[in-house]
Amino acid sequence: MPRAAIIGTGALPVGKYQTGPEAADQVVEHELLATLVAQALADSGADKKDIAALIMAQPRPYTRQQYFSTFMAAYLQLPCDAMVMEVLGNGLTAALAFDKAVDEILLGRAQVALAMGINMETAISARDHMMESMRKTGDVDFHTPAGFTPISWYAMDAMRYMHEYGVSRAELASVAVKNRRHASENPLAQFRKPITLEEVLAQRPIVEPLGLYEVPPRGDGAACVVVASEDYAKALGKPYILVRNRSFHHEGVHQIADKRSDMIGLNAAHKAAAQIYQNSGLSAADMDLAELYAPCTIVEVLASEATGLCPDGQGAHQAVAGETSLGGRIPIATSGGLTSRGHPSYATPLYNVVELADQLRHRAGARQVRNARLGLMMNELGNYNAAMLHILEAVQ
Amino acid sequence: MTISRFALGQPMAYPPRITAFTRPFWDGLRNGIFQSTQCEACHHISFPPKPICPHCWHEKTRWVALPVTGEIYSWTIIHAGPAAFSAELPYAVGVIDLDNDVRLACRLHPTAPNQKWACGMAVTMQAGLADNGVMLVATPR
Repeated sequence: MPRAAIIGTGALPVGKYQTGPEAADQVVEHELLATLVAQALADSGADKKDIAALIMAQPRPYTRQQYFSTFMAAYLQLPCDAMVMEVLGNGLTAALAFDKAVDEILLGRAQVALAMGINMETAISARDHMMESMRKTGDVDFHTPAGFTPISWYAMDAMRYMHEYGVSRAELASVAVKNRRHASENPLAQFRKPITLEEVLAQRPIVEPLGLYEVPPRGDGAACVVVASEDYAKALGKPYILVRNRSFHHEGVHQIADKRSDMIGLNAAHKAAAQIYQNSGLSAADMDLAELYAPCTIVEVLASEATGLCPDGQGAHQAVAGETSLGGRIPIATSGGLTSRGHPSYATPLYNVVELADQLRHRAGARQVRNARLGLMMNELGNYNAAMLHILEAVQ
Repeated sequence: MTISRFALGQPMAYPPRITAFTRPFWDGLRNGIFQSTQCEACHHISFPPKPICPHCWHEKTRWVALPVTGEIYSWTIIHAGPAAFSAELPYAVGVIDLDNDVRLACRLHPTAPNQKWACGMAVTMQAGLADNGVMLVATPR
């Protein structure tokens, strides 16, 4: 069976690109994305004619151009023998694009496949954006009428975690400080100015106990990852990243079960992590670094525990102690994570791939994890109760 | 046990859709009855009510009364919300475990200014009635 490798990446610094209707010069998604795709291909050294699949994260509903994947295949003049498609799966959307591109390689249908995504939303106000996003979490007839927002579920995780483990809000907030320090060295990050714990705690509340710096900023972004068969990658004669293992679990629960259960164990993440360690013969202790999909500080803490990188109930304490910082025992979110690198949601998981690809090719500059060989990536849905993991391995 | 009702005092910002199947639930709240569906085969109680059993997929369920008392599993106060809810900000929401271990999520209805909420806090379910819908809430017991 073929194995899949990451051979090239391209990403736009996360920021605000979307234009409102008043702008004389409009910014359109396909122009931004096409440039990145060309950069990613140049980074890979692959030949355009060898690309046989284009897997696209479905853009936000604000993107005017529809049927975006086939439109892009035309915009890029890219005939494909394998698959051209858009995927959608909540926060997993861009992770699915990557995972389905890997599928095309593993199925032997493509020697080279592109995974890409663009998320443009910042010209839409948060209060209007939430009119749509509130319909995505929970039950639209039994939860949404109470006014739940996506991050309100994470806030409830934080309250419960603090209650069960006696952890303070300041300890959770230290994750935001740590990740901003990481972001200060990442040219792709939306927010790079270091912040103090006092500044984090002084921000206005958004969903208690979380304030402005502990929840995801709104951002636009786009990224492209070039995936190839390992044979193709080897033939290029450059370092590449092997997609060593992957796993997925959905709990059969959306937000809450209908009976008493543990919400802060991230059960889906826990099960998917157990599965990937079993299948790979590796353990959490073998990982050199991790990129976790964590829109809020609390989510990084819960995800670090569910993946076994930190013991249960110790995720926040270990973040405070520097164990999850650059230079620490297991650096988490060297990119700056979703609170500082930014969270263009339908592209975010591809940014996680980009960060691990940079780290595992030893080109992460001042935020390089020394001798990084194995990277854990988890993209998950918190209390939407699904998790997808990948173990990526540097091959020199 | 009956569920107590109060006038919401304003239309619901985002009222639920009522189906032929869920109408007994919403009409029940208006009439002081708090109920959901239970599987006739495996006796699993679902919330929200469902026409099949989500646990064993048996196709026959019946309406059964739910306890109106429970405790807060977790909660938050939302300060930044969707446009439709702007006038109500800030407001509290929570996950409630009823005394029979059925879990639901709803608005938390304060009984005092600067109401304090806590995990484990005892609550009673109530039905807030508006012309365009019924809002299920939990309030301190």
